[in-house]
Amino acid sequence: MESTFFTALQNIASPEVMLVIFLSAVYGLFVGSIPGLTATMAVALLIPLTFYLDNLSAIAAIVTLEACSIFAGDIPTTLVRIPGTPSSAAYTEDAYSLTRQGLHETSLGVSLVFSVAGGLFGALVLIFAAPQLAKIAFQFTTYEYFWLYVLGLSCAAIVSTGSRLKGALALMIGLMFSTVGLSEVHSVPRFTFGFDELFTGINFIPAMIGLFGLSEVFRNCLTSKTEEQTGKLVSAVVTEDDHSLFKHLKPVFGGVLPRLWKQKIGWFRSSCIGATIGMIPGAGADIAAWISYAVSKKCSKTPEEYGKGSLDAVGDATSANNSALAGAWIPALVLGIPGDSVTAIVIGVLLMKNITPGPAIFENPDQLVLVHGIYLTFIVANLLLIPLGFLAIRSGAQLVRVPRRILMPLILMFCVVGSYSINGSYFDVWVMLGMGIIGFVLEVFAIPLGPVVLGIILGGQLEQTFVQNLTKDDSFLSFFNRPISAGLGIFCIALWLVPMIMPLLRKKMQSTT
Amino acid sequence: MNQSALANTTVRLILLLLCLTLAEGCSSDSVENYPDRPISIICPWSVGGATDRTSRQLAVFLEQELGVPVNVINATGGRGVTGHSRGLKARPDGYTLAIMTVELNMLHWQDLTSISFQDAIPVMSLVDGAGAIFVKNDSPFQNMQELQDYAKQNPGKLTATGTASGGIWHLALAGWLDFSGLKADDIKWIPMNGAGPSLQELASGGVDLVCCSLPEAKTLYDSGQVRCLGVMAEEPLAEFKEVPTFISQGMNWSISGWNGLALPLETPQPIVDKVSNAVKKITSGESVVQGKTFPEFMRAAGLSTRYRADDQFAQFLKTNDETLGKLLTSDAFRKMSSRGTGPLVFPGLLAAGMCVIFVCLAVQKKVPALAPDVSSDTVTSRGIVNTVLVLSCVVAYLLLAEKVGFLLTAGAILFLLLWKLGTRWWMSVLITILFIPGIYTLFAQLLRVPLPRGMFGW
Repeated sequence: MESTFFTALQNIASPEVMLVIFLSAVYGLFVGSIPGLTATMAVALLIPLTFYLDNLSAIAAIVTLEACSIFAGDIPTTLVRIPGTPSSAAYTEDAYSLTRQGLHETSLGVSLVFSVAGGLFGALVLIFAAPQLAKIAFQFTTYEYFWLYVLGLSCAAIVSTGSRLKGALALMIGLMFSTVGLSEVHSVPRFTFGFDELFTGINFIPAMIGLFGLSEVFRNCLTSKTEEQTGKLVSAVVTEDDHSLFKHLKPVFGGVLPRLWKQKIGWFRSSCIGATIGMIPGAGADIAAWISYAVSKKCSKTPEEYGKGSLDAVGDATSANNSALAGAWIPALVLGIPGDSVTAIVIGVLLMKNITPGPAIFENPDQLVLVHGIYLTFIVANLLLIPLGFLAIRSGAQLVRVPRRILMPLILMFCVVGSYSINGSYFDVWVMLGMGIIGFVLEVFAIPLGPVVLGIILGGQLEQTFVQNLTKDDSFLSFFNRPISAGLGIFCIALWLVPMIMPLLRKKMQSTT
Repeated sequence: MNQSALANTTVRLILLLLCLTLAEGCSSDSVENYPDRPISIICPWSVGGATDRTSRQLAVFLEQELGVPVNVINATGGRGVTGHSRGLKARPDGYTLAIMTVELNMLHWQDLTSISFQDAIPVMSLVDGAGAIFVKNDSPFQNMQELQDYAKQNPGKLTATGTASGGIWHLALAGWLDFSGLKADDIKWIPMNGAGPSLQELASGGVDLVCCSLPEAKTLYDSGQVRCLGVMAEEPLAEFKEVPTFISQGMNWSISGWNGLALPLETPQPIVDKVSNAVKKITSGESVVQGKTFPEFMRAAGLSTRYRADDQFAQFLKTNDETLGKLLTSDAFRKMSSRGTGPLVFPGLLAAGMCVIFVCLAVQKKVPALAPDVSSDTVTSRGIVNTVLVLSCVVAYLLLAEKVGFLLTAGAILFLLLWKLGTRWWMSVLITILFIPGIYTLFAQLLRVPLPRGMFGW
């Protein structure tokens, strides 16, 4: 055990591997910060390169890229309100509100440090508990998945600002959009109105870019914010007459470590949620972020700040989505079942290199060295994220100094190109445009956008598990016939019913006394 | 007025300049020069699956043989309808290659698309994966006969999965049941999105059987977490010699999923020959990348291959189409497809939920709270004009980009918007010249997103 660990340490410390890690970190930051380009896509682009790399470098490149791109997704989320990855959609409102208060550097600093802390926590779970925890994946059948998706969606609707009814309405709208296209379970086209392109359904990435990004462009144009000469945001933290060496570090990192200490329970709780949800195949960083956001709001002393620029919310949700990444590797390495789309590619790469993921790789000494190499890469990549992430924040932060009359057309260009690039399809740009208009209208009626996005992402899977459960057994009671599914199911129902019943109960109590 | 006239002249000047500079680098799409720009392969399935792995492997070798970048685009969804139509209906200039899979020969029988193998110029068949039946390691079934007997005595009790309803593995299982004299739904099919989730469901005890190809189940099979009862191939597979075939168990049943490379109809013959020769070099193992040949890579990935070139592939497509058509249009299969929870149940529930919410909102009698920053006070008439401009710019891009190309369309739109939103014209020109080629380099060159090229080829 120890000797393989040290061999792995030696391997990873070699200049070539370090160079690969460094380059993929830069690449990951870059890709993650461009809306429309996802970590999955970036990893897919790496596949041809992995032929030229040795086993460890190939996997190290993927691990680093993934860790860095999820953090980088927070940068456009915070600065221009376009979630770089779906995992950032949970706290988009909070992060962007902070930017409008001139606190974008603080917000991104919190994102960075909590991402790293969450990522490291996930790595530790992967290192110390992988074989024991992997079996969780085998506890999940379609019944459990159904309730897990319901839980994720409920959290999104319940925590969103404003009335719970509007949150629920937003959720329904999102789910409705997810039913467009060829139904995966029935193979029947629905709501396609004769357009062949609609067979694919509505892709959530262009939808997300449109709902958040394009609607913001519309709002800025319509209210002529673009004409304000003072339309640039000034950082509220930087003091002009500060000439110390750490002048630039202060707004990003100042006060973050004390905050991490103060919020340690929140961080621990969110990271646990992230790692647990990450290791369930078919549930990933996006659900983890929403659930931890909801739990964080419930436990918070200041829940009224959530959705209006809460640093607690950003910190907790971002540590959950980063810790979910390492979680997804647990079933992939131990069982050979991919935890998410990135680990699905990893399994392909490993097979190509004559390594079959599964229990056997923990017994073969050569392959164990590789496994330990993966562990170490998770740690190295997260540590490397601190300096590189800081540089990314610094260069990104210049963006908010650009006057809006210049920024808005550029954002529009990125919305168009970003939504096109995910599939190379014009139809996705139409979707982005339509969603931009819908997003704008919804916001006018104060209906939250987050649940719409999650509804589009999870709607298909929710329906599939729903139909699968009913195909297995016609009775709705079967949804509760396994211990975990019964527990999750009752919890979900309570989540909706308790807040409705509580006021009635209280009223009754008062009238009796 | 004066300013706008000046700006108009500038726009013309810039367009002219751009045309002149790019005209030099611009190359006509002539057949002799093929290929002189990046090629795209359209893969109808998502990243990480067997078809995607094959496509990306092939792309690496084609890149070496043809000397230009070869990108894989995953046009997923619609059970393969999207990807197949995009690949085969692409401009027949040889710069879009299509990966076809077995679904091409199924979808048109199920009335999901009009595209069939007759819309393709077949180049080479690649993977050929026979269906196989998997059970969990603690399952009581040891061979196909035991399974068949149990299904006969307990119709409707067993559950199986592997793909969506009407997918190839569903067809494989139902076909076998029908062939063995049982009813096609004596084993209940639970529709699932692909082999990966199906195998996980099997290992969790959610279903009794999974029908998929052996390479798809390689990781769980190698580690002994699932067992394979039999493979629907004519002979045992080279990579999985220990797995008995159905035929060796006395059931004369074989069916397989395949994929292969094709070009859109009407691609010029010289281009077809060039691609075909390159692919032949690759599949015969002549071409070497990193000390390994394509067949070696495919073996390492556990994918069984069957290389059929040109006419041989065309012949195979025709017979395969007939076989699958016969199965799909058989009474047994038709009857079965139309049961269970209907496609409108879930949207119906959602609509009901929405109605309830609307009623609640109405009962609460709350005037919908409006966002504070968009109201009649803040919206100006100029703002409305600008918003309409933004909208029409996106629409213009959508209509023009394919014909005129990304650089010109995006450049014109960016300039127009910058200028109309109040940036000075020279500043707008500067930003446009800086950003548009920048974005182009970023996406098209570095990130390999094929941006629209238009009639000039750039």
